[in-house]
Amino acid sequence: MTITTQSRPQRWDQPFGSEMTDADVERLLGVPEIQAIEADKFPSRISLEGILRNDARIMKYKAGDIVIREGDYGNSAFLVLNGSLRVVLAPGLPGEMLGRRKIQKKNIWQALKQLWTQKTSPEFRDIQRYDHKSGLRESAVPGSSHVFLQDVPAVLDSNKTAVLEGGALFGELAALGRTPRTSTIFAETDSELLEIRWQGLRELRKYDQGWRRLIDQRYRQNALKAHLGATSIFSHLDGDDLQEVADNTLFETYGTFDWHLSYKKLQGQDRIEGVKDEPEIFQQGAYPDGVLMVRAGFARVSVERGNGRQTITYLGAGEFYGADEIYRSWKGELDVGLKVTISALGYVEVLRVPSKTIEKHLFAYWESERQGGTRVGEMKSEKRSGRIHDFFDQTLAEGALQEWAVQERFVNGTQAMLINLDKCVRCDDCVRACASTHDGNPRFVRHGKTFQNWMVANACMHCADPVCMIGCPTGAIHRSLSGGMVIINDDTCIGCETCANSCPYSNIRMVSINDENGQHILDPQNHKPIVKATKCDLCADQITGPACAFACPHEALKRVDFRDVTWTGEGVGGQ
Amino acid sequence: MKRVWGYIATASLFFVLIWGWTLQVDSSLNYPEFISGGALFFVILVLCMFNVRKRLPFLPLWPAHKWFLLHSVSGFLALFLFWLHADVLWPKGLYVQILAVLFYGTTLSGVLGLIMEKIYPNLLTRVGLECIYERIPRDLADIRNKAENLVLECTEKTGSDTLAQHYFETLGWFFQRPRFIINNIFGGQNAQTWVMQQCSVLERFLNEAERDYLDQICVLAETKRKIDFHYSLQTMLKKWLLVHVPLAAAVMAMVIWHIIVIQVFFI
Ligand code: HEM
Ligand code: SF4
Ligand code: SF4
Repeated sequence: MTITTQSRPQRWDQPFGSEMTDADVERLLGVPEIQAIEADKFPSRISLEGILRNDARIMKYKAGDIVIREGDYGNSAFLVLNGSLRVVLAPGLPGEMLGRRKIQKKNIWQALKQLWTQKTSPEFRDIQRYDHKSGLRESAVPGSSHVFLQDVPAVLDSNKTAVLEGGALFGELAALGRTPRTSTIFAETDSELLEIRWQGLRELRKYDQGWRRLIDQRYRQNALKAHLGATSIFSHLDGDDLQEVADNTLFETYGTFDWHLSYKKLQGQDRIEGVKDEPEIFQQGAYPDGVLMVRAGFARVSVERGNGRQTITYLGAGEFYGADEIYRSWKGELDVGLKVTISALGYVEVLRVPSKTIEKHLFAYWESERQGGTRVGEMKSEKRSGRIHDFFDQTLAEGALQEWAVQERFVNGTQAMLINLDKCVRCDDCVRACASTHDGNPRFVRHGKTFQNWMVANACMHCADPVCMIGCPTGAIHRSLSGGMVIINDDTCIGCETCANSCPYSNIRMVSINDENGQHILDPQNHKPIVKATKCDLCADQITGPACAFACPHEALKRVDFRDVTWTGEGVGGQ
Repeated sequence: MKRVWGYIATASLFFVLIWGWTLQVDSSLNYPEFISGGALFFVILVLCMFNVRKRLPFLPLWPAHKWFLLHSVSGFLALFLFWLHADVLWPKGLYVQILAVLFYGTTLSGVLGLIMEKIYPNLLTRVGLECIYERIPRDLADIRNKAENLVLECTEKTGSDTLAQHYFETLGWFFQRPRFIINNIFGGQNAQTWVMQQCSVLERFLNEAERDYLDQICVLAETKRKIDFHYSLQTMLKKWLLVHVPLAAAVMAMVIWHIIVIQVFFI
């Protein structure tokens, strides 16, 4: 007798929620929104039941608990099973209410005071602080600790909100598109929600017409139009025209959402995926069927060279490619193929605006501009395309550094710590300055990957795509609204290590916190030392800005945004 | 090194200005030593403030690289002013002679330190490997263990002790602790030559299997050589300040006493 086996998705080896029982799944199959799904459309390998069992979990929230916070990066969506929730409409709740860290620059006196208030033992914490301020409801079940609002009636009084009840789906756009959550949602009454992780959500969208229609329609309505209106090529459009572009735009995702996890694993084995393994989005030589816009993540731009492919640059959120080629063929040039291959670096969400739409809404506008005296040849509106063309002429040697930065995914960094080893005297003044501004313990290691005389040290790079933020149960790690740096609120960090495990660059360190005498503070429940996640916070509260760069006597250390860096023989310019 | 000449040139410029001033005062029958001495004291004060600044990284007191520039220029300026103030290279009187020794010592260590800081980083980069200074002893111990295990394994597996003998006669000495330190400090190549020689001298006495082990040991030796190089240069980059800073502190203390005495003498 032969037994046929079909491999089920590997991720199911680690179900999203470990507590899901047969009865739970049975019950979920009876929920109207799930009942409406045509289960027989799913391949048997990825059955609907399997998705519910492995990619979803039932979450309980008490009245006042925050479910998602504005600005969070989440990898899951929620379906309300019962209870009532509220969406806080603009302008939203203040950061502290959401468990964020309050950033206040020190004044001169407070800065000086650090000289004597700094405790001799590192990582000292006054634990009383944790008691009253944080509004944290801790739970032993992973992922179930929540930050709660202490005064719900006051929040309802002073903010505009909308009600969400049984059957409502939310959070799906951020989960699929890897974009920040756009609003805060909290439980008004005790509630039960079905949380579905992104993989499951992607399958639901793929195999069920109803869910796809719902998700896509909401995407076009809520996110796409506003996004397109904010880009430089469509900023001249509004109203119906913009809606038409939005309606015609296709959206696709490439790569894996969890690229950081496989990246980290492969890195240990020195086998980071190369350009050949990346999913292709545009292929060199092919005829472009539309303009490609990156909405989230990164795409590699490469050209064929000899036996391999040379990376010439990359595209980040808001950048696009292809208008030049389409424009030229629109103007009658024959055989205008794409000059580059574009492939997904990790995870990328792209929009494809079809040629017809571009011709109608963009080229027509350019033509009218030209008649009005602007030089179209400049393609002023295609922000990076001009740059891409500049890169064609670079030699392999000139491009090697950029290629390295792309390969190592350092291009994700907006504040990477770049050290010029030809200037660095290894004095560690930078490390000491960091320690004396951060609880006596440096928040980075002056060591890291090197290329020629450049080292990217192990310091948080404040990434454009901060994967460390995915899945933080309390929102303790977040992007500051002012300044955009990624910071951790020590008060609401529960030491679960999710962020430290997610950071592909290993730039988060878990530390045991100490009392005044330098003794570890223990958790009263399990008598283990309490740990907190720490990393570079870019000296958000220091007047000097990043203390490391300020303290380097040799100007060897700089914080750089890899997007703006232009590599030259002697140095790094364009910061 | 171009920069160092720049510091000297800038210091000379300031020196000429101050010198001109003392000449002017001299011609009006005042005490030019007060001008040169006052300027020298001020410059030494600025020099020592560098240390204070390093202890206060959280205050917006100019970025450290500007202080470094200021310190380097002021260092040379101090030397020129010292000559102007003392009027000779080697002054008379025991107290000022001690002061002069300390001052020359500080300046000399400063200049040497500066030259190292300009030359060493690039030499370190060219090694093609980076190490954290504090971890070097551990790294070296790891390498030694690996090498010794290979030697033992080779003897066990091949039944021949040629490699082991050679290791204990010569290679073992190299793996024991950082070697060729002085030569490294002067940028020499002795370590590299030595490693290459020791590896090649043995080759013709070994069979295929043993040669495999030797190759692995030579790779380890090469890594060890690089770490040694880092160790030597990084030690110098760190330790010279242990000469410079105490000397600077002594100079400062003696200068203050010198000023008090002069004040008393003149009142
Ligand atoms: C030509 C003369 C001098 C030169 C070229 C020189 C050079 C230097 C250099 C390169 C440093 C290390 C900076 C760094 O890497 O962070 C330094 C530190 C220092 N120097 Fe000098 N120096 C000179 C004279 C002096 C004098 C005359 C004094 C005081 C009387 C002095 C006091 C100091 C102090 C206090 C430090 C701070 C060390 C630390 O805390 O790291 N220097 N000097
Ligand atoms: S912790 Fe890691 S992933 Fe997060 S912003 Fe910093 S470097 Fe990027
Ligand atoms: S302070 Fe500057 S020179 Fe010193 S170790 Fe740090 S980067 Fe290198």
